[in-house]
Amino acid sequence: MSTLLRQHAEQLYAQELEELQKQDTGKRPHNWKLTPQAVVTYLTGGKLKNGFEVSPKYIGNKRLMEIAVATLTTDRALLLYGLPGTAKSWVSEHLSAAVSGDSTMIVQGTAGTSEEAIRYGWNYARLLAEGPSEKALVETPIMRSMKEGKIARIEELTRIGADVQDTLITILSEKTLPVPELNTEVQAVKGFNVIATANNRDKGVNELSSALKRRFNTVILPVPDSIEEEIDIVKRRVESFEKIMELPAEPPALQEIRRIVTIFRELRSGVTTDGKTRIKIPSGTLSTAEAISVVNNGLAMAAYFGDGQLKAADLAAGIIGSVVKDPVQDKLVWQEYLETVVKPREDWKDIYRACRDLI
Amino acid sequence: MIHILGIRHHGPGSAKNVKDFLEAVKPDIVLVEGPPEADPLLEWVTHAELKPPVAILVYQPDDLQRSSFYPFAEFSPEWQAITYARRNKVHVRFMDLPMGHHLALENETKKVNEAPGAAGPSVNSYAWRNNEVAAATALRKDPIAYLAAAAGYDDGEKWWEHMFEHRQNREQVFDAVTEAMQVLREAFPQPEDHMEQLREAWMRKTIRQAEKELFQNIAVICGAWHAPALVSMPKPKEDNELLKGLPKVKVECTWIPWTYSRLSYYSGYGAGIGSPGWYDHIWHHPADDGTRWMAKVAKLFRTKQMDTSVAHVIEAVRLAESLASLRNLYKAGLEELNEATQTVLCNGESILMQLINDELIVSNRIGEVPQQIPKPPLQLDIEKLQKRLRLPATADFKDYTLDLRKENDLERSIFLHRLQLLDINWGEQHEVSGKGTFKELWRLQWNPELSINIIEKGNWGNTVAEAAERFVIAKAGEAGTLSTVTGLLEHTIPAELHRAVEVCIQSINNLAAASGDVIQLMEVVPGLVQVSRYGSVRKTDADLVLGIVNSMLTRIYVSLPAACTALTDEAAQKLLELFFKLNDAVNVLQQPDLTGQWQQTLQAIAAADNTSPMIAGYATRLLADFRLLEGDALVRVFHYAMSAATPPDKAAAWLEGFLKGSGTILLVDEELWSLVNNWVNILDEETFTSVLPLLRRTFSGFSSPERKKLGEKVKTGGAGAAGRPLADASLDEERARQGIPVILQLLGIKS
Repeated sequence: MSTLLRQHAEQLYAQELEELQKQDTGKRPHNWKLTPQAVVTYLTGGKLKNGFEVSPKYIGNKRLMEIAVATLTTDRALLLYGLPGTAKSWVSEHLSAAVSGDSTMIVQGTAGTSEEAIRYGWNYARLLAEGPSEKALVETPIMRSMKEGKIARIEELTRIGADVQDTLITILSEKTLPVPELNTEVQAVKGFNVIATANNRDKGVNELSSALKRRFNTVILPVPDSIEEEIDIVKRRVESFEKIMELPAEPPALQEIRRIVTIFRELRSGVTTDGKTRIKIPSGTLSTAEAISVVNNGLAMAAYFGDGQLKAADLAAGIIGSVVKDPVQDKLVWQEYLETVVKPREDWKDIYRACRDLI
Repeated sequence: MIHILGIRHHGPGSAKNVKDFLEAVKPDIVLVEGPPEADPLLEWVTHAELKPPVAILVYQPDDLQRSSFYPFAEFSPEWQAITYARRNKVHVRFMDLPMGHHLALENETKKVNEAPGAAGPSVNSYAWRNNEVAAATALRKDPIAYLAAAAGYDDGEKWWEHMFEHRQNREQVFDAVTEAMQVLREAFPQPEDHMEQLREAWMRKTIRQAEKELFQNIAVICGAWHAPALVSMPKPKEDNELLKGLPKVKVECTWIPWTYSRLSYYSGYGAGIGSPGWYDHIWHHPADDGTRWMAKVAKLFRTKQMDTSVAHVIEAVRLAESLASLRNLYKAGLEELNEATQTVLCNGESILMQLINDELIVSNRIGEVPQQIPKPPLQLDIEKLQKRLRLPATADFKDYTLDLRKENDLERSIFLHRLQLLDINWGEQHEVSGKGTFKELWRLQWNPELSINIIEKGNWGNTVAEAAERFVIAKAGEAGTLSTVTGLLEHTIPAELHRAVEVCIQSINNLAAASGDVIQLMEVVPGLVQVSRYGSVRKTDADLVLGIVNSMLTRIYVSLPAACTALTDEAAQKLLELFFKLNDAVNVLQQPDLTGQWQQTLQAIAAADNTSPMIAGYATRLLADFRLLEGDALVRVFHYAMSAATPPDKAAAWLEGFLKGSGTILLVDEELWSLVNNWVNILDEETFTSVLPLLRRTFSGFSSPERKKLGEKVKTGGAGAAGRPLADASLDEERARQGIPVILQLLGIKS
């Protein structure tokens, strides 16, 4: 077992990728590790010809993954768009792992991301000592993936300032990165492409300029359609978490996951699952990802402070933490929900008590 | 040699296959699934002015609710087969069970199975009955899905499309279809359906007949499901047994225009298709790789002011192609193109996809039918008028604002009103913004089912005017209540049907004379007064109406006081509404004579002791509005009604009637205000406590801003202050004088 805290997708699923590669006989685009069909199989799961089971990474509409993969085969870049916690980065990581076998060519977008982080920077000591030279140049992940024909990832593209964003235009349309200081350029090798993610909930983001927008195909990742789908996602992710963290807790009962997912879905959509009662909506996004972390958190609580079994009390703090983002308004919303929806439910008494004690 | 071509209705791939096949084998007769009664209509198919989508309408002249439509698009295999035959001067016939038998059989089973009146009248309007209504449901839902699942598709429809519709290599495709259907029919036998057996027997009979007539090369075009039944022929005797002694009714057929949206299954059509517009596209451009389609999408977006560059189109086509190859399709289909459109052109948002669906995928196309086709005379008249008044029938809706002062617009309005009277709901009148009675807003949308309405109303006359007039007269004769006839009259006057108007008025007069129910009369009068106002724009019989209004009002005046006694609260509320409207109507008429009588009636009502208190209150109030009750007299009546001896609930009702809907008036009408205010002021504490609930009840009927303002008015003294002297008891002039210099200084006045 690896001692790394978190392994990259290509490390964690190395076996699956290897099996897929063995089975995969079709024609591959240049520098791709797998055929587009195999990439889709890797993402959505399936059984290979030799009976090897590929686990699904993205649970949801398969057609969306097909669009994403097909986009990468064209010369347009891919923009994954959606609410926080809808598996954008997750999909982006697995896509690049499957296509290039490398998900590490990543630039994190922030308000402070500069042009040097996208194009190239300089090693100033060398620059002063030797003047501009290849050696003094500091390559960015994007420059490297252009040279090696890999997929580069940009997280939170819209948080990057508009002027810096636009440096991508040349890279995406001309597929080249000029280095005027050395009077050369880096031309992208076949297989290079960019996957960017952006979320549509944040305030203070920089809309893409239309010139840049045109270089991206946009795939919107939705929140899960059905409660069953969401429960499935939470269950799988919690299982893998347990394995990695080696928690001495018992796996959570499906019942417990269903309750968490129900609470999240109800608060997210503003109506109870039976469609009868209206609920106020809190300010947080309450994504599937948060549901997963609530369950993970509860498991850790149960393992180290409880009796090893996931109980309502272990989950309560996590639930409140993710629902009540605004200490005044969300608290009222939550209390109302607790009293009007949770309390009357017969088999939810434990969760009601646990939550009420904490508020 | 008999060739059985199993097809999918409205499948462009099947159409192409049929066309190629026929051109290759050159049959000497073509048999098509369809009603044999419509055979004479086939000669029109190559007429230049018959433009699909069109439909054959088969109807039973004595029972028009029972009718069927057989739609054809250009990409329907049947249409292609018929055009081939007509163009090459080859015999062509329909071969399905005649509609006459079909309808007669249905009548019989209906009589047996259903209690009369259990089902709606139009059991079968626009079901495409021959083509697989029964088979399609079975075929689509169950068996084909098994074949599809076996081939690894999740949807039977899609599988069929990829297997047979999008096929490039067309050899032996029909044999394959027949074989597949054969297997299905064996593996999933359908429950015995007598009608289906009859239909297939009739088809076989038609084929045998053709053989008997020594045709050598027979091509049979039928729904795929029927193909196996026509390949393996049982003995002729069996079929003849089956078809012996079938009941029959008389039916007639004609061509009518159809629309693509009616062809889609969104409109509840059994053998419908999801995307007629797309099928039309691939029929006309079979070699299109998506480029032309994307160009159409881009053009549509541009007309809607959305920037779409050529580069967008290029990228979208590329994405669609890579999607297709990812899915192992040889060519991008509609789904791939839609996904590419959404991802590239719409930035992932799905909102605009609805627009594409309405405009392109389903599309608003409407067919055309030549003038010369024998049609019911009423239909001809309508078409003539549509042409003359330049009101074309369109599948999409279109708005017209008519200015009735213009000759042409007035005629249009009359035409549309007449159609509405005939229940031919082509146009829908909308509220027009702005003042004046000379404007009308109409929204027109043609709908193929209107054709059947037109035929139905053909009984009433050969022109729109004649039919509408007779129809209204008949309706007015049947009508039993005043409100029905006045409703009719309201629509008849703008339709300018003078004789019908006269009949309506007469009928109203008779009914009013017979009616002892004053409430009914009161309901009708405001409508009639409304009608009489049309006189200003339309040269109609407004005077006639006024005459009736006069006599009706007189009747009302006589019997109203008696009708206001002994009413329950609810009845009183209802009557109050009518009072309100009637008062408006009287005011609109502005005839001193009528108004005077009305006032006298009100006085009688207000004064009578046994009048329901709410009404009495309202009548008093109206009298006050007419200034017939003023000053002290009004105060007296008010105090009298509100006095302690009156039971509280009665007093409350009186006050409610008196202040009905006048929150704002109370604010601005000083007299009314001081009346109420002074009354409240003089109440001693005990009485005040006891009337408080009554006041609350009345005031709770006002809107909350009104109440708030009223509260403010009370607080600041309002107008009530004028009546109440200021507190003057202890004014110390000496002390007041001391402050004056400071005030003068503040005001900037030198002392």
